[in-house]
Amino acid sequence: MAQTEDIREKSIDPSVQPMLERAKELGVPTVWDRYQAMLPQCGFGELGICCRNCNMGPCRISPFEDAGPKQGVCGATADIIVARNLIRMIAGGAAAHSDHGRDLAHTLMLTAEGKGGGYEIKDTEKLNTLAAEYQIKTKGRSKEEVALDLARAVYAEFGKQEGPVQFTRRAPEKRVAVWQNFGIDPRGVDREIVEIMHRTHIGVDNDPVHLILQGLKASIADGWGGSTIATELSDVLFGTPQPQRSEVNLGVLQKAQVNIIIHGHEPTLSEMIVAASKDPEMKSLAEKAGADGINVAGICCTGNEVLMRHGIPLAGNFMQQELAVITGAVEAVIVDVQCIMPALGALSDCFHTKFISTSPKAKFPGATHIEFHEEKAYDIAKDIVRMAVENYRFRRPNQVQIPDDKMECMVGFSTEAILKALGGTPDPLLEAIKSGSVKGIAGVVGCNNPKIQHDFGHVHLVQELIKNNVLVVTTGCNAIACAKAGLMLPEAADQAGEGLKEVCRSLGLPPVLHMGSCVDISRILTFCAAAANALGVDISDLPIAGAAPEWMSEKAVSIGAYVVSSGIFTVLGTVPPVLGSPEVTEVLTKGAKDVVGATFAVEPDPYKGAQLMINHIDEKRAALGI
Amino acid sequence: MKLEGPFIVVDPERCMGCHTCEIACAAAHTKAGNLMGAVLAHELLHPRNRVVQVDEVKLSTQCRQCEDAPCVRVCPTGATYQTETYTAVDQQRCIGCRLCMMVCPFGAIHVATTEVEGRSKRAAFKCDLCLDRKEGPACVEACPTQALSLRYPKEVVAASSAVSARQYLEALSSKDQLTRQR
Repeated sequence: MAQTEDIREKSIDPSVQPMLERAKELGVPTVWDRYQAMLPQCGFGELGICCRNCNMGPCRISPFEDAGPKQGVCGATADIIVARNLIRMIAGGAAAHSDHGRDLAHTLMLTAEGKGGGYEIKDTEKLNTLAAEYQIKTKGRSKEEVALDLARAVYAEFGKQEGPVQFTRRAPEKRVAVWQNFGIDPRGVDREIVEIMHRTHIGVDNDPVHLILQGLKASIADGWGGSTIATELSDVLFGTPQPQRSEVNLGVLQKAQVNIIIHGHEPTLSEMIVAASKDPEMKSLAEKAGADGINVAGICCTGNEVLMRHGIPLAGNFMQQELAVITGAVEAVIVDVQCIMPALGALSDCFHTKFISTSPKAKFPGATHIEFHEEKAYDIAKDIVRMAVENYRFRRPNQVQIPDDKMECMVGFSTEAILKALGGTPDPLLEAIKSGSVKGIAGVVGCNNPKIQHDFGHVHLVQELIKNNVLVVTTGCNAIACAKAGLMLPEAADQAGEGLKEVCRSLGLPPVLHMGSCVDISRILTFCAAAANALGVDISDLPIAGAAPEWMSEKAVSIGAYVVSSGIFTVLGTVPPVLGSPEVTEVLTKGAKDVVGATFAVEPDPYKGAQLMINHIDEKRAALGI
Repeated sequence: MKLEGPFIVVDPERCMGCHTCEIACAAAHTKAGNLMGAVLAHELLHPRNRVVQVDEVKLSTQCRQCEDAPCVRVCPTGATYQTETYTAVDQQRCIGCRLCMMVCPFGAIHVATTEVEGRSKRAAFKCDLCLDRKEGPACVEACPTQALSLRYPKEVVAASSAVSARQYLEALSSKDQLTRQR
């Protein structure tokens, strides 16, 4: 029984326990086992005070007054090393999001040129809105002509030298002025990332505050640049999400169907897999193989993309990727980029599951690599789906254990969809905020991390917020956690405070709105900008707050940085590797307020984290006199 | 008379859990005597110590060099034996039966594959205080925060007595009221 208790402590999601019991029975390790084996983790790494940026090192700074070195070989102090390491994390995260955006720009360009292997321009309205932002003429031109100009203009954002990055100008004028005053208005997406790598090279920038400002600059290029590009062009190509219902959790896997897991981040792949799975040829192939059909289910953000647009069910968030394979019911795990555990290779080997990598950028041990190229997207997607279907006959029915757990959810709340639900303007929501029935808005996002009980941080923080009449907008793995916990149903309004409950009921909305994948945090930025502009204030004046209760990736560091740079107070649920530097810690938790009007806080307890956010929202309300 | 040998202790408040002591230990016991050389020569690396975590506290653990060592008592071949200053393992005589491993209350002795006189075999490994190393224990030398130290029991006892005696005197002098009443 001790084992079961131990397993129960790993997650609050009821689908996880039976799968971990199964893993134990089969002797296959999961992320939780590897985390245990990694303990104790190096304290120098935890504090961020080791440096491997040159080969005079590796160096590490002793955190103790009376023992060990206080400077690296070059003389770098803990403050310098922590700042350099932190902004290198931002560079990694901004690069990942923005390269995703670049891929969408590439796909839009191919599609406009008639070379996209199956893609089309689905949302002309959004295309025209974006064209107007870039002052591209739309009158009397075909959507392809407009799209080609837009794709070229957006492509150019990455290599721009002197700025501005167009979508940053969605921010209120006061916010842009803040960025310009402190020299953190990005000049181009790639340039700011490159400059981080330059500045953190041995012997370049050695002023912690100056380093962090460059980190913020690159993060703004991510949030308001690369990520916004990814979101907006995905909407043009695949349609802007609209509210719809679906189901989440491992229970969406079907006992009698071919189960295909799509995992990773870019909708260019998942959209085509979904389309190919509906191809009559594939359907009849599945029937011939003795299956009841083809069931595509998502994991992580590419799952969020197709959930938002097509209601494709989601099998789980980051920590459930291995568990999906352990059900024994998955014919193929198809992956592209980001947050894909290399452990999936060895794990799939223990089952009939095919692990298929597709990105020219990402290969994995034990994976079958079928390279995906947008020019032949549909054909390649069909090849991949065919492979999955043909694998169905190798499934061992006595090895199949699918948990029953699944939950219904209402998703698809793009900024446009929220405005539509409000009747076309943000006014009803702003009025509700002014009257106090809605206290404010919280953006809760981010990953899973075995350092925190799976979904515990996400679900409890969000529940605490809605109980206190804070409307929650969410993306990424937090969104999946909330959906699994039933918080994305209009009925969940019962769990909200009186004011929020009333508002949700009158609009038929859940108290927790799914806004998409992790790049779609750009939707939250766009929404905040619209609200601030409607009130004639800066984003930092709004009664809003952010949180990443279970974050782990470099992308999350970049997200945190651009959210704070946008003027939004942000609570982190796991401690970032900065505590080795008193100066950097001070800047992030206090000093940043004097620059960008917002700070970070670290609070692993979700109830206390929620309280910090509520206090912040109350302060902002008082300052606005509402 | 038997000498009381030294042993290695860790200050848990200083241990960062960085595993440097494990690497230093393993490297010091290779033929190359250093990490890079051992890796290049494809030598097997075995630390004799281990860094563990108890709740939030990290600390390294290694042999206490027990006076009445269970590993010595239990060894059926006499491979584990007591010298004047520490408990040693003769890997040539070791048959890899793991009895020492089972009885050690510190988990400080384990059996792993090694090469003994050109032959690959399973044998016991434990801390030998780096007696052949003129710089002293490699782990102590490598610890970046000086959390590890080589201590001699007599010195420890003497130092502790001095410290506690001082504390006692300080306590007495600060509570003169109390002492007078008595």
